[in-house]
Amino acid sequence: MSNVKQVSVLAEETVKIEKPESQIKIMWDALKKNKAALFGLIVILILVFVAFFGDLIAPFSATETNMADAKQGMSIEHWFGTDMQGRDIFSRILSGTKYSLLIGIAAVAFSLVIGTVLGSVAGYFGGKIDAVIMRIMDIMLAIPSILLAITLMAAFGQGLDKAIVAIGVVSIPEFARIVRSSIMSAKENDYVAAAKVLGNSNARIIFRHILPNVVSSIVVRATLGISTAILDIAALGFLGLGVKPPTPEWGTMLGDAKSYIMSLPHMIIFPGIVISLAVLAFNLFGDGLRDALDPKSRS
Amino acid sequence: MKKILCGAVAAVMAVSMMAGCGDSGNSSSKNESSSGSDAKTTSLVYGSGADPRGLDTALVDDNESAKATMQIYECLLKYKEDSTEVEPCLAESWDISEDGLTYTFKLRQGVKFHDGTDFNAEAVKFNVDRQTVNKTDDMPYADFVFGTVSECKVVDDYTVEIVLKQKNTAFLANMAMCFGAPMVSPTACEKNGGSLLENPVGTGPYKFVSWSKDDRVVLERYDDYWGEKGKCDQIIIKTIPDASAKINALTTGEVDIIDGIDTTMVDQLNSDSNISVDLTDGMNINYMAYNTTRLDKETRVALSQAVNVDELVDSLYDGYASKATTILPSFLPGYSDKVTQVAYDPDAAKETLAGKGVTEVKVITYSNDRPYNTATGKTLAEAIIGYFEKVGVKADVSTFDWTTYKDKIIAGDYDVCFYGWNGDNGDPDNFLNLLSDDDPSMNVARFDDEKFNEYITTGIATVAGEERNKIYAEAEQYVADEAAWLPISHQQNITACRTNIKGFKYHPTATVYLAKVEKN
Repeated sequence: MSNVKQVSVLAEETVKIEKPESQIKIMWDALKKNKAALFGLIVILILVFVAFFGDLIAPFSATETNMADAKQGMSIEHWFGTDMQGRDIFSRILSGTKYSLLIGIAAVAFSLVIGTVLGSVAGYFGGKIDAVIMRIMDIMLAIPSILLAITLMAAFGQGLDKAIVAIGVVSIPEFARIVRSSIMSAKENDYVAAAKVLGNSNARIIFRHILPNVVSSIVVRATLGISTAILDIAALGFLGLGVKPPTPEWGTMLGDAKSYIMSLPHMIIFPGIVISLAVLAFNLFGDGLRDALDPKSRS
Repeated sequence: MKKILCGAVAAVMAVSMMAGCGDSGNSSSKNESSSGSDAKTTSLVYGSGADPRGLDTALVDDNESAKATMQIYECLLKYKEDSTEVEPCLAESWDISEDGLTYTFKLRQGVKFHDGTDFNAEAVKFNVDRQTVNKTDDMPYADFVFGTVSECKVVDDYTVEIVLKQKNTAFLANMAMCFGAPMVSPTACEKNGGSLLENPVGTGPYKFVSWSKDDRVVLERYDDYWGEKGKCDQIIIKTIPDASAKINALTTGEVDIIDGIDTTMVDQLNSDSNISVDLTDGMNINYMAYNTTRLDKETRVALSQAVNVDELVDSLYDGYASKATTILPSFLPGYSDKVTQVAYDPDAAKETLAGKGVTEVKVITYSNDRPYNTATGKTLAEAIIGYFEKVGVKADVSTFDWTTYKDKIIAGDYDVCFYGWNGDNGDPDNFLNLLSDDDPSMNVARFDDEKFNEYITTGIATVAGEERNKIYAEAEQYVADEAAWLPISHQQNITACRTNIKGFKYHPTATVYLAKVEKN
């Protein structure tokens, strides 16, 4: 039995060698087989679409109040009901998509850039620089991330830009550590030694020769990081520290509705479902991406 | 994989939230038997929204503390059960001199503090001196209650004379207040270095047993109490900060009484046959204040014109608050139904604001609910900035928790803020003085107007009656025209207790007196 299997695997590999496929094509083939990851991808695409066109397809304004229509339940006119100020919850969720995605992606981009630079420097040079940078990262990791974000928000005040920075800062250490370890193993390769001998600058070696080889693990981490960031911004919003009103951010909507969980449950259920769905989608997609990018798990 | 788990947990939470709303109404019956069976010692459990700041009435100013302290301490006088008229308490009778400056109190004899020491004229002098000649900066109500006192004299063991610097019509009412006025044991106070924050000793119907921070204050009946003894053996004031957890605690019978209930919860509580909901008129005002040092009168009037207060109050408070036509609640002396506020006129507002080039205002508000605003400061602010936006004014809103908010108020960097006031003593001065106070944490509009200040100084020195009421009515119309505040609503006090509780009443001063409450 096992012999037969081995033979077939060998046969497949020979086929691949004969017809080399691009990295992306291989990845996509692996991803296609993963139903959960595909589901995640579809949800993400829908979210991205809504982020761009949400305000156009929303039946009502997301910010304009209408006190006469306040606290309505679900109806044909207001699918998800209205909130305390008479704003349509469905429209607010559509319009809020761009804030959650924007904050999620921007915060990850922020921490990715800074984390990658710090991690590369630490991993490539080692020694004292490494010790100093990584101990600072350890200190940051020692503080629970949401607590650190709350502290930063309390210091900066509310606002979209401030939320991005606060959430970005707390995930710097994760990226720094991943990049550092990848760089440490990559820098022992012969091509790095060759690049050094050729007289390339350190920066060129890091960015041209080493980083491209660790990019897959960074991409996976970033995708999963977006889901954490979405959850973090929702948590900040829930605690009343996120964006300024009347911005329809999901976590803020959840926080505003929490006192009415018994009497007006529609106000909390829909933002809750959307947050769960978005986080789940990025997690499933990120996991699928990791499996697809990892040659060891590809069978 | 851990991340997936995270997401799954969030999803499960969302689902369980939905499930939670469905069956919460009928979950009360199963706890019925357990709470009824321990009949040996009756303990009354009161669910309170915040932990007391401290149990020394001279050193705190929050109503949560008063829930415990008003069972432990007593004042010279007390309020009637459902009004702010005063009646004898530790003082049996009193005389006021012709010139209105000397108050002579005859004290009740045979009253002992919980530590066994006697209550007498010396004790009264100690308490008055503590907040006058020996006053320290940490006594928030000292000036309000005793600010006009020049001297306190011991005439004999049970007679005390308090001399005022100037006439103060509210002085007797102040002598029954839950802050500042309660009499503490001088011996205990000296023994504890001048602060009874954690070990209160008074003369009241209940004495202090323990306080576990952020959990509960436990009191037990004082058997040597001079008057009618407390009905329950024990009173527990339990801290439950989360509003829905507080409601749950009542429906399951974990607590017997709760207050500060959101209006949207009333129908649900009413449908539970084990719970009775009680509504009383609140002696409070919920208002929006303009920073008068930053916005001129025309702008203030225009912004007030933008807000449809009728619609706002109706939809935010579900009929459990009445629209404020004046600052004073209708049952206080000095209230006049002739006072008119700036009328709703968005078109005029738009024109004025465009003409003056006002396009953005800086708004600050509080994130939590308050006794005078059950809908939270944030919800109210979001509703109001909706009206501002309709007349072309953008609002930059910052929300803070209550403690931080108070600091922001003192810092003063705002055009518009939200605040409220819960009356202490039923005197009109207690409300209107807010607009002439020097302290920016009281006078959040930073209103400083000579003519208005004159109304206030004449008002406080005038004997209660028609003439005094007229002064306050005029003062109210004057400040309404100046548009320093936009008065919004008077909130009803919503309390609920389980049906086996008898005799519970929420006092207009937002304090509770629990000695007469029975639990069957």
